[in-house]
Amino acid sequence: MLRRTLSIAAWLVVLFGFLVLAPRASLQQRTGEPAFAKGGAGEIAGEYEVPDPNWPQWAHPYPKPGYIWGSQGGVFAESADRIYLANRGELKLPDKVPNNFPGNWGFFNQMAATQPIANMVNCIVVVDRNGKLIEAWNQWDKLFDWGRGPHQVYISPYDPQRFVWVVDDMRHVIYRFTHDGKQLVQTLGMLDEFGENDDLTRFRRPTMIDWLPDGTFFVADGYGNTRVVKFDKTGKALLKWGTRGTGPGQFNTPHGIAVGGSPPRVFVSDRGNRRIQVFDTDGKFIEEWPGIAPHSLLMSADEHVWAVDSLTDRIVKFDLSGHVEYSFGQFGTRPGYTWAMHQISADSEGNLYLAEVFGGRTQKYHPKPGADPTKLVWGRSLMPMAAGRTN
Amino acid sequence: MMIGRGTLLLIALAVGASAAWAQAKPDFSGTWRLSGTTPPNYPGSAGWGVPSPTISIKQTPAEVTVQSGQYGSNPMTVVYKLDGSDNIWEAPSVTQSGTTATVRWRTKARWDGTRLILFTWNTALNQMRDVMSFGNGTLTIARGTEQPGPSTNATLTYSKAQ
Repeated sequence: MLRRTLSIAAWLVVLFGFLVLAPRASLQQRTGEPAFAKGGAGEIAGEYEVPDPNWPQWAHPYPKPGYIWGSQGGVFAESADRIYLANRGELKLPDKVPNNFPGNWGFFNQMAATQPIANMVNCIVVVDRNGKLIEAWNQWDKLFDWGRGPHQVYISPYDPQRFVWVVDDMRHVIYRFTHDGKQLVQTLGMLDEFGENDDLTRFRRPTMIDWLPDGTFFVADGYGNTRVVKFDKTGKALLKWGTRGTGPGQFNTPHGIAVGGSPPRVFVSDRGNRRIQVFDTDGKFIEEWPGIAPHSLLMSADEHVWAVDSLTDRIVKFDLSGHVEYSFGQFGTRPGYTWAMHQISADSEGNLYLAEVFGGRTQKYHPKPGADPTKLVWGRSLMPMAAGRTN
Repeated sequence: MMIGRGTLLLIALAVGASAAWAQAKPDFSGTWRLSGTTPPNYPGSAGWGVPSPTISIKQTPAEVTVQSGQYGSNPMTVVYKLDGSDNIWEAPSVTQSGTTATVRWRTKARWDGTRLILFTWNTALNQMRDVMSFGNGTLTIARGTEQPGPSTNATLTYSKAQ
């Protein structure tokens, strides 16, 4: 009996160490201070209410009967009333679905939503604050055949035209659409052809974009290459930096990028090397913040870098010097938990949106009444739409 | 000194023929044996892009047919059209979850001078780009592969099987 009790106790100790201490250990930040100290490992949804699992409304015909939306690569909140969702195709549901099935692939708990082969339909949709469908850009679904769907989606905060940018990593291109999705106005890279690190005409599985106020933009490239490419506002490649490796200015899967500060700096999630690297806008290395491997970064309106960590499924707030100010979140498939947050976005009302590639859902987090505003993610305000452009 | 019209025509023909000779497309046909060993950086699933010990190529003006084990767990015969158009078909492939499923395949080919670039994609998210060149009796393939996992690059050399 005593032996059995000791055995159970030992397992509980191991389990505690795995669930609580391990994530903390991997979130050591540059000062040696554990990131969780500013938030607490128990804070699942932080200053936000537990998300409504029925947001967005999974109303037919999106997806069609017998199917479910698959991996959610990206989400971008243009406003609280216009949210773009980047869906990496639809997956066929099992023949028998439990009554308590909440509507996301992660519920099945066995296979990430990226692994089954998806039908590339309903890849870009726009919903309102209630999660109700506003637009479905089905005219562009064909672009995502032969790939795995849109990687992420954005609008530059400095663009009065509000062009919509979509990164397609597996087809090695970045698309720029008109705001209403009716026209594809630019394709960066060469469709289906990858190039090496020194090739400024081709990407090799690009991952993310961010902008300077003058329209200059930076692309993290990516899964295949190990560099950042700087473009002028017309899409002309100006320069690139980075090689494969672990030293300063070297990368292993640069997967996220954010630009901000004064003077402006470029923050790059060097995911495979488990760090964020900081550069000036010409690629000169400034410093690194070790101990975190974000899928994505976000420069907030109050000039902080928010990182969604692939190691711990935590959302971490850094000041621009790399100090952790706050963190929350935990792995899981229930509402409020996350499984591989792939893009983070926020609107100016303080609502937070997280797209999960493995969980297969996008969750909207609404602030709790009386929430501490310093613990909320604030999206950058977008430049007002140019005259004559609506919707 | 005046040059006659006939002489000019002759010179033009000679220059044209010379340029055409310089750009003559090599014929990669034959059975080729891999020189050396498989590069070590091949983490891809189920053999995708892993060099076959032998590769059999049949080339006509219209297409190149490659028979090889480099397309996955089983040898396949794959056709690349030389007019730049896609060749699309369905066949099994190992998916990223490790199961085998029937998926769509697509190939394309393009000449770059005397180098032939072969592209292979399938909807199991496997991609391969082979840049083939020929010299001194050796077939050289600069291969890049992409999958959701790590990328690979390798230079493979093949010699003609006797």
